[in-house]
Amino acid sequence: MLFHTGRKNARKGLNIVIVGCGKIGSILTEKLYKEGHDVTVVDTKSERLQSMAEQYDIMEVEGNGASFQVQKEAGVENADLFIAVTDKDELNLLCCTVAHFNGKCAAIARVRTPEYSEEVGFLKSKLDLAMVINPEQQTAHEIARILSLPEALGVNSFARGSVEMVRFKIPEGSILDGKTLIQLGSYSDNDVLICAVERDQEIFIPGGRFVLRSGDVVSFIATMPDARRFFGWIGIRTFAVRKAMIVGGGKTSYYLSRLLIENGIGVKIIEKEISRCDELGELLPQAEIICGDGTNAEVLAEEEIGQADAFIPLTGLDEENIMLTLYAADVSDAKVITKIQRRTFHNVISRLQLGSIIYPREITAEAIVAFVRGMTASRDNDNIETLYHMFDNRVEAVEFSVRAESKATGVMLKDLELRDNTLVACIIREGQSRIPRGQDVIRTGDNVVVVTTHMGLHVLDDILK
Amino acid sequence: MNIAIVLYTLGSVLEITGGLLLLPALIALIYGESTLLVFVLTAAGSFAAGWLLHRRRPNNMTFYVKEGFVTTALSWLMISLVGCLPFYFSGAIPSFTNALFETISGFTTTGASILNEVEALPVSCLFWRSFSHWIGGMGVLVFLLAIIPISGGSQMNLMKAESPGPSVGKFVPKVMATARILYLIYFGMTLTELCFLILGGMPFLEALMITFGTAGTGGFGVRSSSIGGYSPYIQWVVAVFMLLFGVNFNFYYFILLKRARAAFKMEEVRAYLVMVAAACLMIFLNLHHQMQGMEGILRHSFFQVASLVTSTGYATVDFDQWPGFSKMVLILLMFVGACAGSTGGGLKVQRILLLFKSYLRQMQMFLHPRAVRRIKYDGKSVSDEMAASVQTYLTAFLLFFGVSLVLVSLEGKDPVTNFTAVLTTINNMGPGLNLVGPAKNFDCMSTLSKYVLMFDMLAGRLELYPLLLLFHPALWKETAQKQARLRRKNNDR
Repeated sequence: MLFHTGRKNARKGLNIVIVGCGKIGSILTEKLYKEGHDVTVVDTKSERLQSMAEQYDIMEVEGNGASFQVQKEAGVENADLFIAVTDKDELNLLCCTVAHFNGKCAAIARVRTPEYSEEVGFLKSKLDLAMVINPEQQTAHEIARILSLPEALGVNSFARGSVEMVRFKIPEGSILDGKTLIQLGSYSDNDVLICAVERDQEIFIPGGRFVLRSGDVVSFIATMPDARRFFGWIGIRTFAVRKAMIVGGGKTSYYLSRLLIENGIGVKIIEKEISRCDELGELLPQAEIICGDGTNAEVLAEEEIGQADAFIPLTGLDEENIMLTLYAADVSDAKVITKIQRRTFHNVISRLQLGSIIYPREITAEAIVAFVRGMTASRDNDNIETLYHMFDNRVEAVEFSVRAESKATGVMLKDLELRDNTLVACIIREGQSRIPRGQDVIRTGDNVVVVTTHMGLHVLDDILK
Repeated sequence: MNIAIVLYTLGSVLEITGGLLLLPALIALIYGESTLLVFVLTAAGSFAAGWLLHRRRPNNMTFYVKEGFVTTALSWLMISLVGCLPFYFSGAIPSFTNALFETISGFTTTGASILNEVEALPVSCLFWRSFSHWIGGMGVLVFLLAIIPISGGSQMNLMKAESPGPSVGKFVPKVMATARILYLIYFGMTLTELCFLILGGMPFLEALMITFGTAGTGGFGVRSSSIGGYSPYIQWVVAVFMLLFGVNFNFYYFILLKRARAAFKMEEVRAYLVMVAAACLMIFLNLHHQMQGMEGILRHSFFQVASLVTSTGYATVDFDQWPGFSKMVLILLMFVGACAGSTGGGLKVQRILLLFKSYLRQMQMFLHPRAVRRIKYDGKSVSDEMAASVQTYLTAFLLFFGVSLVLVSLEGKDPVTNFTAVLTTINNMGPGLNLVGPAKNFDCMSTLSKYVLMFDMLAGRLELYPLLLLFHPALWKETAQKQARLRRKNNDR
């Protein structure tokens, strides 16, 4: 063929209608388009549609996504999936309800107001939604997870937290420097598997003879206790976060504070607007709410930024968040987490000392992409439970729940012909996770975590050559 | 400008042209004509040149508007140059200018000919001439988009540059699928007409060539008398299909989706049909004193109206002999042209509608200066930019028309000939009036005029902007500066 086509294009794409192309809508469009689906975007703002259409091969429809006629024009009748991600919860729910009258598509709505998010189960069943997404809540969960292992740059959990993918940077002079993975296995009796290594912008899915160096960014998979023990063994300072300082009192702050308070971590929120401070005080009686400008060094000093174990700026501006973490890293030893919305300047940002970086948009998009891949694979086949894109979208970690016999099941792993740069990282059976060895076998009913540089795994068999 | 991507795409276009040239070669083989060698060699040369350009995939595969325009303009120049070689080398059309004129006229679906004796041409050349109408009708780049997957959304800029009409949209999210649907409709309708013509007793190859001429709204006949020498049945079939190919293809897509009501609600299609009916009636009333036989008058007026409104240019009679009123109606129809998103030429009914609505709004504004009124089209508000862009297009069109007219007048023919020659080429019609009337041809024009008219044909088919941008000095100045900067950078290294 004259132009290259990827393996993923072999499958027929789904018809997907997305209402609202704000921050979440645009990243969903990008990801789903790149997965090979037919995407139609509905929005009331023609300029936004225009800029989307210039970047991606999609169809754009101008209008109110909750209107029956507009939905008809967007082809909801023949759509497989309908996603409503405008900035209004009520509108999103209405869009999905109307969509059900228009066709038989699965519907996903963004619902992020705390009042509604407590009733997610009710909404899902009564309005027949396939999924409810709450980016702020998902972001809060991710931040809380990192705070439970503050030594790590990033923590992603699989199988409802029974096993974690942990990312960290090997410090100068670490005992890991110069060791091969085989040596590592013989030194330590920890159940830890190194899945991916980034060195000088390059990604490796390492084999046994791979030599680690200080400065490498390493992702490994392990249970939470094993990960802690591993960090202790390689001599990385471990500590528990007891006091966290959050700047900005938005929805993410609220969700995060609730999680932290549940885990017994003290929370201090600095918020500018007095009215919002009142609301937060009402909602979070255990948290300390400070009314002040969190971007002011005086305010931060007065509130003793140096005493906090974790510092998390959650303002709406990327620039502010970046400046604040840089400042915090300078004046305290706190664990810093930077929330960034825009990916555009990723290259520049990754060179700064920003601690753990969180991209809320990516988190939501990954959840939906995982769901859509599950839809694409035939019904009774394996389902994708979780999906993470790591290392700047160059590595994918996928958790399959294996439902049926296939070529990859019932065979010892050492006898499977895996594709290059693909690794079976973990098998979770009856709630017990284990790092697989060559003799292990994948069975139906298992959950399997696969790490690969090939994007677009849909079913477990895709790991085979 | 990203020259690499332009050349790369031109490479694919040349490869495709090479492939298309094999069809007339096949005809030459079947008929045992000596043109076989010429066609095969041209095909091979075109393919080889395309392959050379296409070897290296550029790093940046994005088409911005300017790359889309330049690629489109250059592609059309290129296929015209390659396409004229068989005529020239086989000796079928000995003069290069004439061969180029005939080819451009073919690809742009104009159908203006320089041939005095059509029947004298080898069958394979006749076929290639008609086939070029079919290719040019829907467009080479749309064909390219239908068969070659290009990633990213920017290739829409290619389709926008090539497809006629002020607002080119998609049927389905993917450009490739849209282009395929377009070609599917095009192919299906072509096949239907072919069947109808064969049912009327026309030989297969002749029916095929006439169908190509109708489908692309081109108008190259295979006889000097155009469609005049055929039976009334054939004339009716051709007239009806000309009209159908002039309808916006969105209409057929709605029909395919079984949404007939939405199809017939399209304002443009309604206006188009009403306009055709009104023109027929006027010409019918104007003619029926002078000629005998109701059916004949009706058929001739309908045929000529359908032919000129869709910019096909077939004729059943020499309408140059008609009374002044009828000729005037036909000239006005030439200006309006067919629907946007069809294979026809002209200003397009959609633009005329928008212009008319802008005019009405302006009148309203004089009466009620504070009134807030939006222009509505198909029940939707039209943005002011859209309305303004249509007005700009009309201005550009008239300016272009005026300059061409002055240049053509230099050779000293009468005003009617000059005016209709420019009109008929810029709107991709075919025949004009007087010296370039339906019974005559363009061979009488001077070489300069021929080149001006060729330019008009290309500009008309691509709706001015791509070609005008190609010759816009600023574009090349910027590109040259960019290249120089790159070279300096490389040298420094």
